[in-house]
Amino acid sequence: MNFAIFLLALFDGIAYAALVFIVALGLTLIFGVMRILNVAHGSLYAIGAYTSISLTGYALSLGFAPVLAFPLMIVSAVLVGILIGAPLEKFLLRRIYDKSEVLQLLMTFAVFMILEDVQRLVWGTRPYFDSSALQLLGNVTVFGVTYTAYQMILLPLVAIALLLGMRFFLRHTVTGKLITATTEDREAAQSIGVDADKVFLFTFVIGAILAGLGGALASPTTSILPGMGADMIVLSFAVVATAGLGQIEGAALTALMIGLGRSFAVYLYPEISVLVPYLIMVLVLLVRPEGLFGTSGARKI
Amino acid sequence: MLELRDVNASIGIIPILRNLNFTIEQAQTVALIGRNGAGKTTLLRTIMGFTRASGDILFDGKSITAMHPPKRPGLGIGYAPEDRRLFSAFTVEENILLPAQAARLDKDETNRRLERAYTVLPELRDMADRSGGTVSGGQGKMVALARALMLGTRLIMLDEPFQGLAPALAQRYAEALRTLRDTDRSVTLMITESNPSLLRGFADRTLVIERGEVEEGSLEPEGTNA
Repeated sequence: MNFAIFLLALFDGIAYAALVFIVALGLTLIFGVMRILNVAHGSLYAIGAYTSISLTGYALSLGFAPVLAFPLMIVSAVLVGILIGAPLEKFLLRRIYDKSEVLQLLMTFAVFMILEDVQRLVWGTRPYFDSSALQLLGNVTVFGVTYTAYQMILLPLVAIALLLGMRFFLRHTVTGKLITATTEDREAAQSIGVDADKVFLFTFVIGAILAGLGGALASPTTSILPGMGADMIVLSFAVVATAGLGQIEGAALTALMIGLGRSFAVYLYPEISVLVPYLIMVLVLLVRPEGLFGTSGARKI
Repeated sequence: MLELRDVNASIGIIPILRNLNFTIEQAQTVALIGRNGAGKTTLLRTIMGFTRASGDILFDGKSITAMHPPKRPGLGIGYAPEDRRLFSAFTVEENILLPAQAARLDKDETNRRLERAYTVLPELRDMADRSGGTVSGGQGKMVALARALMLGTRLIMLDEPFQGLAPALAQRYAEALRTLRDTDRSVTLMITESNPSLLRGFADRTLVIERGEVEEGSLEPEGTNA
């Protein structure tokens, strides 16, 4: 492996880790607070990507500048959170919080299947591709290796900002503190007047927005086609489980591990590259079943 | 100030509270005595709205039976459940402040109430910056009392506060309750306990709960005429 290939694998891995982390952050936040593993999170990612590319395409067709793609990504993410995430929590998940985990998993899996078909109904099965946001930011050359600024700079910056922002939000804002308290002990939080229903709805919408944002940010870098939601949910689950469910900082680190593992495998042993994230997960969970940063019993976010 | 009318509550199919009818007047200090499993905790949880119950619960003459549970502390009810530890993600003072933040009290009011809590429990000032996860069980009970004081301007309900406290701490806790009583004569206190002797001389009314039924009782040992 020469130095140029090494750098390429490194940049690929970081860009990929950033995207997976953004999606995994939403997944682990939702799990940490409401103890539900939301399989439909993958659909929210895919719908975020479809929404973003459709809105951007429409804006471009009306003659707006390509730079509008960036605010439209945020708009798409918020739309996913409010139009799909909020009703999903309020009308469906709220009924199953006290049910068994198997039922919860089946329920969110059913939602995932339904949303997969909804995507086919709305956007069909042909792939979409629009990289105008990617091209807008141009390329960066490091040690002779040219890479897109979007993937090398923007994506990691957004991921780091979200990590720090989430940390600050949960520890230092009133709403965040109430979420953290509910996570630790729901009934103790309720007995001091925290409205757990509101906390759950709010948390789920934030988590859904993060899934949508992940999809929107991924949209200029890849073809958008059916099945992308399934790939992402499995991968972000691997990240979240390796870190320990509900562990936010841990998820950042394992996203990097899994992203880099996968991208180096692509260059070194392409035939096993798809397997690598799960190999990492299995190895970690064999040694530490609660995840790298998880503590058995206590719940933390 | 608190009235229960024909309150029945069950967990699953097992009835826990049966036909409770009693009224507590403002400023009373009520000891709720009963063995483990008699229904003390369920009674407090029912008042807080965490247990589904039939009948009617009135607070200051208004029915709160249908009131959304998280809204109830806002009426001025402070509740310290048994065995509920502090939030380990926060410092001791952050733990105490949380109820005021949940109720969106303004800064001045929050500070006033924090001072009230520190007047009752001055030792908490020294541990204000410690993490909630590092305090001992006994200290945790003190912090939980301070937390209940933040919203408990009308009614404070303490569930088995002396349970598991070392004798010295139990004494200190009782002292803090007396300070509270001396500095705030209008607040109503309701304290559950399985050991009546701990509240002797402090409570001015005793309710005994036995198999889910409540009747007036006494804290004095049987056979005495005090």
